[in-house]
Amino acid sequence: MTKLFILAPFALLATPAAAQVMDPTEYVTTAGASDLYERTSSQVVLETTTDPRVRSFAQMMIEHHTKSTADVKAAAAKARVPAPEPTLNPLQDELVSELRTEQGAARDAAYIAQQKESHQQALNVQKAYAAEGTAPPLKAAARKIVPVVQSHITMLMKM
Amino acid sequence: MSKLGRRATLLLATASLASGVAVAQSANSPNAAPPPPPPPVASQPVQPAPDMQAVLTAVQSLGLKPIEQLSPLRARLQPTAADGARTVMRNKGMSTAPDPDVTTRDLPYGSDPMQFARIYKPTAAQAGAKLPVVVYYHGGGWVIADVNVYDATPRLMAKQLNAIVVSVEYRHAPEFKFPAQHEDAATAYRWTLANAASWGGDTRKLALAGESAGGNLAVATAIYARDNKLAQPLAILSVYPIANSDMNLPSKQDSFNAKPLNTPMLKWFGHYYSKSPADMQDPRLNLVRANLRGLPPVTIVNAQIDPLRSDGETLAAALRSAGVSVEQRTFPGVTHEFFGLGKVVRGAYDAENYAIGRVKTAFAR
Repeated sequence: MTKLFILAPFALLATPAAAQVMDPTEYVTTAGASDLYERTSSQVVLETTTDPRVRSFAQMMIEHHTKSTADVKAAAAKARVPAPEPTLNPLQDELVSELRTEQGAARDAAYIAQQKESHQQALNVQKAYAAEGTAPPLKAAARKIVPVVQSHITMLMKM
Repeated sequence: MSKLGRRATLLLATASLASGVAVAQSANSPNAAPPPPPPPVASQPVQPAPDMQAVLTAVQSLGLKPIEQLSPLRARLQPTAADGARTVMRNKGMSTAPDPDVTTRDLPYGSDPMQFARIYKPTAAQAGAKLPVVVYYHGGGWVIADVNVYDATPRLMAKQLNAIVVSVEYRHAPEFKFPAQHEDAATAYRWTLANAASWGGDTRKLALAGESAGGNLAVATAIYARDNKLAQPLAILSVYPIANSDMNLPSKQDSFNAKPLNTPMLKWFGHYYSKSPADMQDPRLNLVRANLRGLPPVTIVNAQIDPLRSDGETLAAALRSAGVSVEQRTFPGVTHEFFGLGKVVRGAYDAENYAIGRVKTAFAR
């Protein structure tokens, strides 16, 4: 009887399924799309911005997010996970269209607002995979990307 | 196992069975699996007004998946009503860039990266002018969304009230569960009282505001301020708050299948933000059972097509019984997340004018 009481709550707590970590392919696709969006939106703002802070931030984003895509691609090869050419999802596509529609200072402001939101999302993706990802090479890559994304967020807090 | 331990275990098992739902709370991971769905309800909500429906259709076109079936991580990547509204605006040839009449800066109020606030200030504010201050809390069920997603309302309030609006970010669940969000809300309130003068704010003219989970925090923080003898706000604006843990309220039935918020999502949020079933009865979540006496005037805004509509209506009744001055309005033809969409949704425009007007009146007294 005592045993039953001890076991019962564990049985209840175990009701939900195991964690739903992104599988390696979903992680590679999500990270790749996020990097592609970063590079594309940064290119769009570089076409028009006259603000040196925005310019140097956007240039850094292109550099860093090119590197993280290469790092994830290399880790994917090690993990024997396919890394298809990244594509923007419909929301990222819309965000880029919104930037293209704006000009001048309005485009700069829209870019910074988008960067703040997208970097929080990127941090979520990388942290979640770094903590519980199932493919060790990709998990190691995510762990290295987390502090980079965090440093971008710190820079964005001042913009 | 001690006698006491065994008794506690038995109580836990009994409480879990008595509640009649799967009560297992999630792990502290954004990858934690969603809870099992509640039994389906066939009734369909009323049809939103065409301008509201256009926003909901746009969110779908951006690839929205059912939040209640996702992990918190995947849910945080979904398009929002704000994304849908910007899509509608762009298609109409309107600008989607942030209104330049208001500037922002981000400042930390704690050591966790999520413990920061975005300070909105009217660009035209004169140097040396002392502006009223609004402390604002964003929505997202304490699990999803952030200050970036909820930009419209604080920006509009800063402009229309000629006020400083402090939009508070806070640690999210399930990484940090209840009451972490309430603690952060209170900390940010204290921090605002201590620092607003240095931003050009006058905390003798102070209001608390919030939407959804943040609508709850606005009221809960006013209670905290009263209990801790802090400066009290002159007004509280609570937009479709989480305020009543009873899952059998009328709106949780008639808007069970509503969009963008449905009743299964309310259960989903609770699965991630609560540590135990007992949390749902805590007066900070179940505000209708809180001691509401002595609170400043409250304005509650609700949407007709929203499972949280009855939360707002019952909170208004509870405030009235506690002798608090309260006005509650339910706007027809609109859904949860409508507030802040006033540039493209007529009902939202009306609700914003009404709600911000109430705060303006409180500041003018």
